[in-house]
Amino acid sequence: MALLQIAEVGNLTLVLGMVVSLYVIFAAIFSQLKRRPEFLVSAKHGVFVVAGLTTLAVVILEWALLTHQFRFEYVANHVSRNQPAFYTVSALWGGQEGSLLFWVWLLGLFGAAVLIQQANQRKHLVPWVIAFMAFTQTFFFALLVFISSPFVLLPQTPADGVGLNPLLQDPGMFIHPVTQYLGYVGFTVPFAFALAALVTGDLSYDWIRTTRRWALFAWLFLSLGLLFGMRWAYVELGWGGYWGWDPVENAALIPWLTGTAYLHSVMIQEKRGMLKVWNLVLIMLTFLLCILGTFITRSGVIQSVHAFGVSSMGPLFLAYIAAVLVVFAYLMYLRMDKLKEENRLDSFVSREATFLLNNLILLGAAVATLWGTIFPMLSEIFAGKQITVAAPFFNQINGPIFLALIVLMGVCTLIGWRRASPAHLKRNFMPPLLLAVVTTVLLVALGVRDPYGLVAFAAATFVLGTVLLEFYRGIRARMRMYRENAVVAPVQLVNKNRRRYGGYIVHIGVILAVIGIVGSTFFQSELQKNVMPGEAATLGQYTLQFEKLKMTQENNAQVIAADLVVFENGAQVDTLRPLKAYYPAADQMTTEVAVRTTLREDLYVILAGWNDDGSATLKIIINPLVVWLWIGFIVFIVGTLIAMLPDPRHAQVAERVRAEKALVGA
Amino acid sequence: MASILQNPPARPAARSSGLSIKYILGSIVLLGVIAFVLFSSFQSNAVYYYTLPELYAQQTELVGRTVRVNGPLDKASIANDQKNLVLKFNLVEGGHVLPVVYRGVAPDTMSSGESVVAEGKLDGNGVFQADSILVKCPSKYEKSAEQ
Repeated sequence: MALLQIAEVGNLTLVLGMVVSLYVIFAAIFSQLKRRPEFLVSAKHGVFVVAGLTTLAVVILEWALLTHQFRFEYVANHVSRNQPAFYTVSALWGGQEGSLLFWVWLLGLFGAAVLIQQANQRKHLVPWVIAFMAFTQTFFFALLVFISSPFVLLPQTPADGVGLNPLLQDPGMFIHPVTQYLGYVGFTVPFAFALAALVTGDLSYDWIRTTRRWALFAWLFLSLGLLFGMRWAYVELGWGGYWGWDPVENAALIPWLTGTAYLHSVMIQEKRGMLKVWNLVLIMLTFLLCILGTFITRSGVIQSVHAFGVSSMGPLFLAYIAAVLVVFAYLMYLRMDKLKEENRLDSFVSREATFLLNNLILLGAAVATLWGTIFPMLSEIFAGKQITVAAPFFNQINGPIFLALIVLMGVCTLIGWRRASPAHLKRNFMPPLLLAVVTTVLLVALGVRDPYGLVAFAAATFVLGTVLLEFYRGIRARMRMYRENAVVAPVQLVNKNRRRYGGYIVHIGVILAVIGIVGSTFFQSELQKNVMPGEAATLGQYTLQFEKLKMTQENNAQVIAADLVVFENGAQVDTLRPLKAYYPAADQMTTEVAVRTTLREDLYVILAGWNDDGSATLKIIINPLVVWLWIGFIVFIVGTLIAMLPDPRHAQVAERVRAEKALVGA
Repeated sequence: MASILQNPPARPAARSSGLSIKYILGSIVLLGVIAFVLFSSFQSNAVYYYTLPELYAQQTELVGRTVRVNGPLDKASIANDQKNLVLKFNLVEGGHVLPVVYRGVAPDTMSSGESVVAEGKLDGNGVFQADSILVKCPSKYEKSAEQ
C-alpha cells in the first residue's frame, strides 16, 4: 500500500533527522576538542541534511493534508472535505504533532541560514552554535519520534475528517502560529551564540553584534505573534476584548518582556562594556521562556483557551530546560573572570541608569506574570490544592508597572549617556511635561473623569512629546546644517541613523498602542438587549435597528445572522451583521462579531442569542480608541524594520575595525 | 576545556567593578517593592479551585467566598434564557448536583461541553452564582471558549 510506505517515509525522515542531529552535536564538539576540521565540515553537512529532512517531512504532511489522506490520524483530525483549502494548509501547524514538526523545521532552516550567513566568519564560535542548535533539534525530534508523530495511520480510512476547529478558521489564526513560532525558534540563535561565546571565552561584544539582527528578528516575530493573537481574540473569541491574561497569552508575553529588556541592555554593553553577565543571563532566560511558552501552549498543563489536552511531554520539556540551565550555570562559573565590567555607572541621571531601570521594571512584569501563570501548577504539585489568579491580579500588578515603564520611556529619550546636567534636563523636560499637562486639562474639560485613564493618557502624551521633540530638534539641525527642506530632512534624519530613529518610531508605536489600550479598557461602555424585528437598541450616539434574523448555508457551516442598520446621531451610517455559525463536522458553534471601526471608537456587536419568536439578543459594546492599538502595532513594526536595516554609519565603523584588524593580523 | 580556549582579541584592562553598591542596593529595594506588591496582590486575588465533592465537603465555610469549581456538565439541565441572557445548568458528580446560574452570553461550546469550570460564589441557597465560566470539550483537539 503506497500510503503505508509514505507514512513510513515520513516517520523515517524524523528518525533520521534525530540521528543526524545527534551526530552533528558530537562531530562539531569533537572537531573543536581534538582539532579535527574535517569533522566540522561533516557537521556542517549534517546541518543541511537535517534541514532537508525536515523539509521533506513537511512536504509529505502538507501533501497528505491537501489531498485529504484521511487514513492519517492527523489529517482526519484537522481537515474535512468541505473545508476551504486555505485553512487546510494551516492545519500543518494547527495541531500538536504538526506544530512540533513545524518548530523543528524552522530550526533546521535557521541552522542552515546561520551557516550561510557566517560562511567564513567567527570560525571559533560557529561549531558551538551548531552543536547547541543540533542539541535542541534532537530534543524536538525525540518528542516527534517517541511521543507525538504526525504520521500515525488509522486502522481504517474514515469517510471524512473532523476538520480544523472552526475557531481557527480565521486569517489571523492562519498567520498567528507562524509568527509566534518564528519568534520562539528565532531566539535559539542568539542564545546559541551566547553559549559559544562562553565556551570559547570570547566574551567581547562580538557574539552580540553578530546576533543583533537575529534577536531583532525573533523579537519582531514575537511582537507579530502577540499582535495577531490579540487581533484574533478581539475578532473571533468575541467578548469585546483582546487580552484575558490567559496562560497561553502570558506564555507569549513573558519572553517578549525579557526580550525587550535584552534589546535595551545590549546597547549598554555596546556603548560602555557593562552588564556582560546580565546580558548573558537575559538571553538565556528569554530563550528558555520561549521553550516554556512552547511547552505551555502544547501540553495543556495549565487550563487555557488553547488547551490541547494533557500529554506526557511535560517531563521531557522540563528535563531539557534543566539541562540547559545546568550547562549555562557551569559555563558562567567557569568564565567569571572574563566577565568583568569595563566601566562604572557614572550617575543615576544617565541613559545607562534609565536602561537599567527599564530592565528591572520589565523583569518585574515578567516575573509577576510568570508567577501568576505557573502558580496553579506549582500549588497543585506542592500543596495538593490548585489556586488560581485571573485577570484582576495581572491588571493590578502589571498596570502600575507598565505605567512606570511608559514614563521611563519618555525620561530616557531626554537623558544623554553617562551624565545629564540639571540645566539640560530642565530644558528637555519642560515642553513634553507642558504638553502632558495641557492634554490632561483638555481631557478633563471634555468630560473625561476616570483617574487611572487620565494618568495613563498624561504619561502617554508626555512620552509622545519627548520623542517628537527629538525628531523636531534633529530635523531642525539638518535643515540648518545641510540646507535640506522640511520633507527631505526627516527622511534623511531617519536614514542616517536608522537604529536610533527606528527605535524612536518603535516607541511612538508603543504609545499609540497604549492610547488604544487605555481608551478601550477604562472607557468602554456596553449594553445587553433583546430586540424584536423592527425594534432598536441605543448605546452612546449609536442606534441599532434590528431588521430580522436570516439563516443561510455557507461552505461548511450553517449561519444565522442578525441584520442591523446603524444610525449615528440620527443619520444612517452602516449596516452590521453579527452572526453565529454552526459547523456540523466539528459539532461546534462559533460567534462572529460585527464591528464598525472609526478612529474614535469601535462599535462592536455580538449576536448573543436568538429565539423562536424571531427576536435576537444583542450585546453591544463601544470600545473607544481601540483602533490605535492596531495602528500602534503597525508603526511599531515599521520602526523595528528600520532599526534592522544596515546602518550606513555603523557599516563605516565596522569596515574601519575590520581594516584595522587585518593590519594588526588579529 | 583549556584545550579549546581561544585567545580573545586584546581588550583594555578592566577597570574597577561596574555597579557600585549604591545601585545594587537600589535595585534590590525596587525588586523588593515589586515583590511585596506582587504578594499582596496575589493574596487578595487568589481563588481556590475545587472539584464538586471538595466543594460540598467544605460547603459551610465557602458560602460567599469567590472560588472556582470544576464539575461534569449535565447537558440535559442546560436552560438558556436568551432573552434575558441568563444561563442555568447543573454540574453533577458523585451524587451531588450543583445548580449554577450565569448571567451573560452562553459560550458557543456549551451544548457539546463535557465539564465546566465556573468562578463565582456559592449563595445561601446552595446555588452557585457564576461570574465567569469556562466550558471544556471532550475531544483531544478541543476548543473551549472563555466568557
